[in-house]
Amino acid sequence: MTEALAFAAWLGAALVVLSDGRRGLALGLGLVGAALAGLALATSHQLGGIALLAGGLVAAGLRLRGGPESWGLMEPGSTPRIILTVVTGLFSLWIAVTVATGDQASLRFAVLAVLGLGGARVLQAREQAASMTAISSLALALGAAAAFTGGDPGLTPYVIAAAIAAAGSALSPAQRIGT
Amino acid sequence: MLRPRPNLAVIIGALLGLGGLAAIVLSTPGLVSDALGVSLSLSAPARAMLIVAAASLAVVVVFAPERAERSRLLGFGLAGLAGMTAIAVAPTLDVVILILLALVVLQAAAPAARPFSRRVRAPAFAVAMLAAGLVLTRLAGPSLLERFGAVGLVAGLVAAVGALPYMHEFDAEESTAASPIPWAAFIGPVLAVTIVMRARELFPSAAGAFGAMLIGLGLLNMIWGCLAAWRTEADVSAWRYSFSGDWGLALCGFGLALPEAQGAAVLILSSVLLARLPLYLWSRQALRDKVQTDRPLNLLVAAVLAGSAPFLGFGARILLLHSATALYWPLALVIATSLLLWVPSSLRLGRSLGRPKGPQLVGIVLVLAVNVALGIFPQPLLLLPGQ
Repeated sequence: MTEALAFAAWLGAALVVLSDGRRGLALGLGLVGAALAGLALATSHQLGGIALLAGGLVAAGLRLRGGPESWGLMEPGSTPRIILTVVTGLFSLWIAVTVATGDQASLRFAVLAVLGLGGARVLQAREQAASMTAISSLALALGAAAAFTGGDPGLTPYVIAAAIAAAGSALSPAQRIGT
Repeated sequence: MLRPRPNLAVIIGALLGLGGLAAIVLSTPGLVSDALGVSLSLSAPARAMLIVAAASLAVVVVFAPERAERSRLLGFGLAGLAGMTAIAVAPTLDVVILILLALVVLQAAAPAARPFSRRVRAPAFAVAMLAAGLVLTRLAGPSLLERFGAVGLVAGLVAAVGALPYMHEFDAEESTAASPIPWAAFIGPVLAVTIVMRARELFPSAAGAFGAMLIGLGLLNMIWGCLAAWRTEADVSAWRYSFSGDWGLALCGFGLALPEAQGAAVLILSSVLLARLPLYLWSRQALRDKVQTDRPLNLLVAAVLAGSAPFLGFGARILLLHSATALYWPLALVIATSLLLWVPSSLRLGRSLGRPKGPQLVGIVLVLAVNVALGIFPQPLLLLPGQ
């Protein structure tokens, strides 16, 4: 089950990288939020998982309000992005399964993959919708990463992460001044 | 509601800011508070940086640059200060990085000349690097993971403050609040102190590698920042690079990991907040008008920026050289040689201040006086972070 959730998180982050339209970005973000929430629930962080799920779904819903009105999936010239999603997935899998030891391999893979793909998307995005979706996915991954702290991380990181993810999607396009 | 009454907004903002500052000054470093249901604690160095940042904001608002609205300056400054306080008191590094991400989003929401996606690119990438570094240090496994984590944290820190090799995109016409300057000169010092202090606890076995990377990037920023500030074509870019030069010194101080070197880093970051940042803001009008002068005041400003005696930067450089000599003398030789590079770039920056008058002139004299006082007697600044 957790393996499927980890794969869903990678797939969601890959959709965020490969989409330029609001529907594709929203679907990707929703998948990331739901998968990371499921993984948090699986690691006995119930309240944290609920917060991530709420943040992810609200962020995905709000994402449908702005950005290019299409799916914008794998448009011409997307080959480097496809390669990026596969390579990042393989690298995260290598770190999570082969190099690192202990439980929570699925969560390790999901967090590393979403962080890697979110960071790459931020660097490469040209539209506000894509940048903010990447930032929302980074926030959700950071929230889920709280499970790696030795003790009980409490609810704080999950709630802040969920709030940032939702706020990122709610942000109106910034007014541009000058050229 | 307060938009038509800017003076009232300034008064209310100032009162709120003073209240917050009083709470920081009166706080006990290291004491954990659970009053809000979250463990909050303020370290001594972060508290020192917050107090210095608040003083810097007060100077800039009272002696506001030409064409700058006091209420907007104070509003942006207080928002930044609130974020910095949250960073300083956050219970874990996860929360620190999340607050940084919130600040990235808030800054990018401000109106600016550059498109949103370009403004958010470097700081959001810094968050991704910091987060990846943090996750890698927390995973169980070989020490290689800790080293990877250290790389992520160092790269993320340097990217967050906009030092080399992660210089943020800079538009000379953009307002300072929306530009990369707040990351380098306002939020950066508190962020760096917080991350470096917490990072050392995360990976004891990779502490050497962490320090070595900080020193390496510090030397790169010192040399390249000063050379670029001297040789670059535009004066405004020269100011931008000069911040990198100062960050080079601070990174070396953090990397040396001796109490004296940490004190040097705190002093250098204090000089960024109390000298370079306000002087840069006051120079912006002269930069737009392309006015350059060689009056005694410009030379004094150049001396402050170069960190010469008796100004604040001098003590910091002496402490840094002393620590470097104690650890590995060839490093002190490299640092001492690179310190000479500050002279030509600082003379250039001093000239670019033009002919300040009115509140700006009073502000510059105040900055000079404060830097002389803290240069001769830096003990209050060193005692704040508990050196």
